[in-house]
Amino acid sequence: MTVKMDFSDILASTLHDTKNSLGLLFNNLEDIIANCREQNCPSHVEFYNLQYEIKRLNNSLIRLLSLYKAEKSQLAINIDYHSIRDILEDVSIQHEALLNARGIKIETDCDPALFWALDRSLIAGVLDNVINNSFRYTKEKVKISSSVESGYLVMRIEDDGAGYPPSMLFNEKNNPKFKKGIDFQTGSTGLGIYFSEMVSAMHVKNEKNGFISIVNGGTLNGGVFSIYIP
Amino acid sequence: MKPDPQQKISLKNKKVLVVDDFFNFRLTLKNMLRSFGVMYLDDVATGEEAIGKMSVRRYDIILCDYNLGQGKSGQQVLEEGKFRDYIHYSTIFIIVTAENTLEMIMGAAEYQPDDYLMKPFPKELLEKKLKHLMEKKENLTDIEKALAVNNYAQAISLCDDLIAKSPRNLSEIMKLKGEILLKNGAYYEAAEFYDKILLMGNVAWAALGRGKTCLMTGQYPEAKNIFEGIIAKNDKIMSAYDYLAKTLLKMNNPVDAQTVLMKATTISPHAILRQKNLGDIAYRNEDYSIAETAYKSAVKQGEHSCYKSPGDYTNLAKSIIHGDNPEEGLNVLARARKVFPEDNEAGLNITITESYVYKKLNRDNEARSAMTAVQKIVEDLAGNIPVDLKLEMARAYIINGDYKKGTEIIKHVVQDNHDNNEMLDNVRMVFRETGMEDSGRKIIEDSRQEIIRLNNEGVKLAADGKLTEAIAYFERAAARLPENKIINANAAQILMRFMKEKGVSEQSLNNVKTYLDRVRKIDETFKDLPMLLAMYNELAPED
Repeated sequence: MTVKMDFSDILASTLHDTKNSLGLLFNNLEDIIANCREQNCPSHVEFYNLQYEIKRLNNSLIRLLSLYKAEKSQLAINIDYHSIRDILEDVSIQHEALLNARGIKIETDCDPALFWALDRSLIAGVLDNVINNSFRYTKEKVKISSSVESGYLVMRIEDDGAGYPPSMLFNEKNNPKFKKGIDFQTGSTGLGIYFSEMVSAMHVKNEKNGFISIVNGGTLNGGVFSIYIP
Repeated sequence: MKPDPQQKISLKNKKVLVVDDFFNFRLTLKNMLRSFGVMYLDDVATGEEAIGKMSVRRYDIILCDYNLGQGKSGQQVLEEGKFRDYIHYSTIFIIVTAENTLEMIMGAAEYQPDDYLMKPFPKELLEKKLKHLMEKKENLTDIEKALAVNNYAQAISLCDDLIAKSPRNLSEIMKLKGEILLKNGAYYEAAEFYDKILLMGNVAWAALGRGKTCLMTGQYPEAKNIFEGIIAKNDKIMSAYDYLAKTLLKMNNPVDAQTVLMKATTISPHAILRQKNLGDIAYRNEDYSIAETAYKSAVKQGEHSCYKSPGDYTNLAKSIIHGDNPEEGLNVLARARKVFPEDNEAGLNITITESYVYKKLNRDNEARSAMTAVQKIVEDLAGNIPVDLKLEMARAYIINGDYKKGTEIIKHVVQDNHDNNEMLDNVRMVFRETGMEDSGRKIIEDSRQEIIRLNNEGVKLAADGKLTEAIAYFERAAARLPENKIINANAAQILMRFMKEKGVSEQSLNNVKTYLDRVRKIDETFKDLPMLLAMYNELAPED
């Protein structure tokens, strides 16, 4: 007799597999790009686009797996006291090559003495997602910065693109719960925002929860994504 | 433009070890490292060779493949390096993996490396990671020097100086400070320190440290609450299970302790020490099938581990004889002999267990001749026999009909451990298993009373103000019972009280240190230990 497996488990293990293949693909491509660059072949810029798409896919899968774990109550939060500058620089190193290849500069701005208690890998996952998106909308510059605002740590990603569409905007004053639906017109699944919201809300201190905000404007006059951690 | 601090960091003087079973990958990695300016560069193909290299040269950076084929894994190299003190706080250890098994590895790991690297990777990434980690670690070397000469006060003050400067590795330094405080017996200071960190956020290692302070100071219900709280928030923090089980044992609840460890081994089965511990507790709880499973994994995981021990085999053999196929126990012991051919102590353990197993299989002659062999090994060892082996030996003598020899050994064990409930439980179990529960109770009680009388007499001398006599009395008692915690603690305390009144002498201070070291070795969670250490630190000159 075969035991019927839970479909979400099947999905999750398949996701895992796919994610591993993507990881290998990404690394192989990295080698090819390095070779290409050494031989001055012009197509290495094209490869960056490939790599970008792989990264996007990979990010989506990681996000999905995290959501799956959260659904199954297996997503544990692992809080430590971290240098925020360290986290921002790590994230920026990850994306630098790809963004630079597109002529986009990435800049970090953070007080080296800023430390906060948070789950590093979850937060890095959120930031990765947002920066990866800005790759598509940014003209010349992305800025990641962090500071403390009324008891919350704020990590902010600003770009100089056209800004977020009105349907995606929300902030702490006017915070409509994000509608979890797939917008077939824009192709946006909203999962990115759902994931960010979930991660922010998992951070709780003194009965205060974290939250996110998405607005337009900011110092680069483009999209502004912020995550607030108590 | 801000200056890039990483520009200043040079790899030139760093000693680097590369461990990978593939020659080509070692070559690639070495070329990368040379291009960063690394000059001291060694490479080996196996974990065993890596440990060998580490024993003769102190490396600053170790890049180690996870999957090294037949022998030790990268994780085991890290574990053994830390165990043998080849890998320090300031050593950079990076695990390199080919497959994307990261999550699996990380989930199970007790010892975390400083970073993981996925093969293949560009050399820029390696360089950035190394420089990043070096910048982080640079500030740990002075603290390490202070720790190497046991200068805890200086190590703590160095930590405080660094913490005030908020370096990138602030968390690591705070963690280290907490560990130093705990090791130094400064439990109240440690508790206060951890509480401060917990105010900033729910940091798991700080909660764990706070729980340890409760455990060490005998606040068991509080410790239990804290450890349970950590697991409720994150069920992957494995050491919380170990400490919860420890706490439950202290609360005389071995059944729950077993349940906790069983849950932990389901989540993270690749932890040899936990499997051993689970085996011991399950065996004590007479849950032999669980004990068998646990010892079996301990034996298997021990194959390439620094925690390999003959006890895993003998315990497995003892668990097996309670099952359906008791003869299998003899095969396990035969294997043990092959694995530990030159080790006298192992030989003793195996031979004692052989006798026990033969007896249980009703092969009396073989059981008795094994005991003759035991006698001979004991003579070779000249008295240096660990306490658990003494009990095993007593049990073997008793079931072979030699009650006198058996109970004589047990009397000594009880006298050395008259206040150690866990050990007395083990003694009771030996009596229960050999059908001597009633007479055993009397033997335990008489031997305990003898030591209590002995101790009280000394305490009375001190209370009557006869300090010099009390000191001489306890010195004699401690010489007779070097393994008895209370006697050694009292010997230390009386001597320190005397010095407080009459002045410090170096000779007496040395004696106190010997007594306190013994106490710590016997039971590092002894509730009076912090008080005694504080007294000692007051008397000892600062250096």
